[in-house]
Amino acid sequence: MKKMLLLVFVIIFTGCSDKLVRVMPYEKENFAEDKMSYSPLADRSEQEGHVFLIREASAGGESAFQGGCGCR
Amino acid sequence: MKKIILLITLVLTLSAEVKVGDTVSNFKLPYLYDTSKTVSLKSNAGKVTLVNLWASWCSGCKEEMPLFVDLQKKYKNSDFRIILSSVDKKKKKSIKFLNKVDKNKVLLSVYDKEKTLPKEYKALGMPSSYLLDKNLKIIKIFVGSLDDNAMKELEEQIDKLLGK
Repeated sequence: MKKMLLLVFVIIFTGCSDKLVRVMPYEKENFAEDKMSYSPLADRSEQEGHVFLIREASAGGESAFQGGCGCR
Repeated sequence: MKKIILLITLVLTLSAEVKVGDTVSNFKLPYLYDTSKTVSLKSNAGKVTLVNLWASWCSGCKEEMPLFVDLQKKYKNSDFRIILSSVDKKKKKSIKFLNKVDKNKVLLSVYDKEKTLPKEYKALGMPSSYLLDKNLKIIKIFVGSLDDNAMKELEEQIDKLLGK
C-alpha cells in the first residue's frame, strides 16, 4: 500500500515538473529564430504572443527575449 | 507514511533552484576562445565573482554585455571577476558577438554547450547573473538583463564585498 502511495505521489509530482511542461529559458535557441515569431512585425508578434499565451494558457515557448521569465 | 512525506520533501527541495545564501559548487568548463583550456570557478577563489549565463540568441543578454565590459574595466585592479557562461549551440556565434563588444577580452568567457550551469542553478530566465562572495556564497541573483538601477545595486554590493 505504501509503495503504491509513493508511486502515485511520484507520478503526480513528475507531471507537475517544470522541466516536462515548459521549455526552460536556456533552451529557447530555436524559438529565438526570426522564422519562429508570430509575425515579421516585432510589435505585432509580441501582441499575438501575449494573446496566444492567455488563450492557450501556455507559457515558455513563445519567445526568447528575457527567456519568458516575466521580468520585463 | 512519515518516511514518504520526508522523501517527497527531500525530492522537492533538491529540485528547487539555487537561492541567496546557498554556496555554489565548483565548475570546470572550457574556455570559450580555446576549448582545449579549462576555467574553473575555484581558480577564481578568493575573488568576488559575477557568473552570467547568456547566449547570443538572447537579446536581453546582448543588451547588458557592454555594461559588464565597463564594470570589469572599472574593477580591473581589484578582486572582482566576471565569468560569462555561454549556452549557445555553436560557440562561434558567441565569439562573433563578443569580438564586437569585448575586443580586449576583459571578460572571462566559458563555453557551456551542455547547459550544465543553468540546469544546476535552475535558471529562471535568460540572462541570469549570480553574484558570489569570496567563499562562493550567492549574495544576489539577477534574473533578466540589468538596467541602470540594477547595475547601481550590483556595484554597491561589489564594493561592500570588497570592503570598500
